[in-house]
Amino acid sequence: MKYYKDHYDVIVIGGALAGLSSALMLADKGLDVLVLERHNLPGGVATSFVRGGIEIEATLHEMMSIGEKGNRLKVGKFFDDMGVDIDWMKVPECYHASLPGLEVTLHPGLRKFAGEIDAVVPGTFSKVLSLLQLCDRVYNSVNELSIHPMSKPMMLLKHNDFVRTAGYTTKEILDTFDLPQKALDLLAPYWIYVGSGFSDLPFTIYAVLMADYVGYGSYIPRKFSHEMSLKLAERAEEMGVQIEYKQHVEKILVKDGKVYGVRTARGDEIHSDYVISAAYPNKVYTSMIEPLSEVPEKAIKMVNGRRLGLSAFSVIMILDRTAEELGIKDYSIFRGKTMDTDACYEELKGLGPYNYATCICHNLANPDATPAGTCSFSITTLPRADGWKAVGPDRIYEVKHKVAKALIDDMSEYLGVDLLDHILEIVIETPMTISHYTGMWNGCIYGYAHTMEDHIIARLQTEEEDRFIEGLEFAGAHQISGDGMGPAVTNGRKAAKLVLDDIAKKRKGASAK
Amino acid sequence: MNYYGFLQDVGGASRVTKMRREAIENASVFPVKYDAIAETAKAWHPGKLRLVVKEIRQASPTAKTVRFVRKDGGELPYFYAGQFISLEFEIDGKTVSRPYSISSAPFEARGEGSFAEITVRRSKGDGFIADYINDKLKPGDEVTGNMGLGQFYWEPLRDSKHVVALAGGTGITPFASMAKEIAAGKLDYDLTIIFGSVSADDIILKDELDRIKCDKVKIVHVLSGDDPSWQGERGFITADIIKKYSAKDSTYFICGPQAMYRFMREELKKLDIPARRVRFEVFGQARDITAYDGYPAEKAGETFSLTVKRGIAEDVIPARACESLVTAFERAGIKIDTACRSGECGFCRTKVLSGEYFVCPENDGRRAADKDFNYVHACSCYPLSDMTVRIPIE
Repeated sequence: MKYYKDHYDVIVIGGALAGLSSALMLADKGLDVLVLERHNLPGGVATSFVRGGIEIEATLHEMMSIGEKGNRLKVGKFFDDMGVDIDWMKVPECYHASLPGLEVTLHPGLRKFAGEIDAVVPGTFSKVLSLLQLCDRVYNSVNELSIHPMSKPMMLLKHNDFVRTAGYTTKEILDTFDLPQKALDLLAPYWIYVGSGFSDLPFTIYAVLMADYVGYGSYIPRKFSHEMSLKLAERAEEMGVQIEYKQHVEKILVKDGKVYGVRTARGDEIHSDYVISAAYPNKVYTSMIEPLSEVPEKAIKMVNGRRLGLSAFSVIMILDRTAEELGIKDYSIFRGKTMDTDACYEELKGLGPYNYATCICHNLANPDATPAGTCSFSITTLPRADGWKAVGPDRIYEVKHKVAKALIDDMSEYLGVDLLDHILEIVIETPMTISHYTGMWNGCIYGYAHTMEDHIIARLQTEEEDRFIEGLEFAGAHQISGDGMGPAVTNGRKAAKLVLDDIAKKRKGASAK
Repeated sequence: MNYYGFLQDVGGASRVTKMRREAIENASVFPVKYDAIAETAKAWHPGKLRLVVKEIRQASPTAKTVRFVRKDGGELPYFYAGQFISLEFEIDGKTVSRPYSISSAPFEARGEGSFAEITVRRSKGDGFIADYINDKLKPGDEVTGNMGLGQFYWEPLRDSKHVVALAGGTGITPFASMAKEIAAGKLDYDLTIIFGSVSADDIILKDELDRIKCDKVKIVHVLSGDDPSWQGERGFITADIIKKYSAKDSTYFICGPQAMYRFMREELKKLDIPARRVRFEVFGQARDITAYDGYPAEKAGETFSLTVKRGIAEDVIPARACESLVTAFERAGIKIDTACRSGECGFCRTKVLSGEYFVCPENDGRRAADKDFNYVHACSCYPLSDMTVRIPIE
């Protein structure tokens, strides 16, 4: 039986947000696209599952870059433009910060946010606001420059703040504002969404993070992240994309430095001009390219020379009381025993105790997220894979329960109610869970870490140097924009753009002959 | 105001670019293929494995225990006591799969001589695979298995340290696994199994259960047949019997035939147990879909045309209104991956492109967005007209 066409323009490995965004954009330009997804549904970690009749969000905390209707930000606009109509629900606050000596709920809006910090750390309003406004200018520059690259003198003229902050860490820039520690603490909690301590995090990344989340707030799809993944997949199919689930791509076929197709675990060899891989470059260059002799040494250096970002550990619970009954007042609680992000980052190399966690109660953005009388509550920390690599199959059960219990006990103490007495359903997600469902390299969901040595601006500047095999592009957290579901979409669009540019270039070359 | 006035530096971009180039230039050229996290994940969830029947023995006059080992001689996956295995049998050139609770203990799947067992009772005429296992399967036969699956296991952060297991017939199997694991010192909770059988001479796994000597495991037999010599509990497993063997704040696990579930739900209601303390195992495909509210009885006898799309291929097969789509696929020799066959796990997630259908309300584990876009779990979906569906290529 013949299941595939003889040839596709593009094969996309991985039907999660990045791959599907690539596929949509390519199909929109009339290309013939095949998406091969190893799981039996789209989305990768952007998914949900059903336990005991209750649907549970698997990973999504909040989507950035959506923006309200009529004033969409880039991801929200892309969905709208592509006809992907998602039922977005606004998350009411930025976060509740539960930090040493601080219990503060902060809301979106630069002035509002600065005002709420000023209310607990008086006299900081103008400094905090000017920091946030600096973030906003850098953010606008990043967005504009990603669409319209320009010369250095022009950049200096039009994007002065972006240029002048480019070479500095978040800590270096924050220090120049001379803010009291408590104010700095309240400006730090989002760090976990980019996953590097402030003395190694490029300020450019911090600026984008703060301007987007604080300036515009965040959103979740009403029917969990599966709604988003499924609507992307459905729209892609409507536009002619062929999506095949449960197809695990084992090999990317290369000849004379150029991609010509893939082979699946089933044994199907499928041909195409381009391959876009959501599989990590680490995996692609060490075991997927066939033959491996087609992999240049430089590609191995590229993956070895970069630090992998974070994985995830999540305890997801359905509780048999409402949020109100349990004293949960905010959609997201960011709780840290310290807000020293460098110290928090160090801790993530081990197996706990983890002293920084983010908690989400979906019902506080979407009251109908769970059945009446119940609520969902998840506690997440984002360890590096390092510590977990040493936990073999014999110990994983014990270790994951120990880590989960410590997180639950801490939140129980905080809420003043023993959550262990209210668990209807519980799921513990570890780096292994992520690896099992998505195949992501070492269970790593953050791609390569945002560090000064692997700065987003440097990634953009050296973009061409990271491409080793003609016709092979990548889409996923391991690409320029890095981790997060919003950036996943941006990374996917970027891969599609590289393919489209190459096609245009070749057509131009052909017509010139 | 100029807090960042010191930043006269306009060479930042060049500087970080140089740093990145250097970091990559100085990196090792040694390709690292090993993914330790994936290896651990694989030890628990390797996917489908080729298995060989090692031995078959009577588990009661009407049931057999089948022991499987890995064909490649390796260790079977890790699993939780109470989970099931989905087995694929090749019968008359067609692949048919069924889930069975694993009746052996997780520790028995570790190390040298790693094995897993299922225990299956011969049916009363409606279980074609059950009869195949009891009558035809023999040592040396090969099957494909995917284990451990399902959510029916003791979870230390959720469940009480005192568990009351309510078992009917072959519903004893997950509890046999738990009991053996506890007796081996691998799990730490008290387990009281209230086990309903018809007669004393046909208690499934009786010898094995009798051999368990452990303070933490207690087995209470309840017989529904009239056996004058029986000294123990009689009748059905009622609220009174359950109460008698419960501790304060017990967790209840229930596994047995479909009819037992309806009875148990009513009995448990009388005891006012919080929802989080009650866990039912899924029970497989509905025995008689036409008995459900909302099923259009007038359609029951019909057979429809089912168009099945896989990739660019298309097949047209017959599908009976009273049988699930999975059964239609299997009858036609179209491979589909299934596991729980109870609408819960979603392995057989199928896109309906056109046509009317009925979803078994007791077995509807679909995601909300899936419902909106006409996805069904084929094991709990019944055709009510000609249909066109899309399924994954197997």
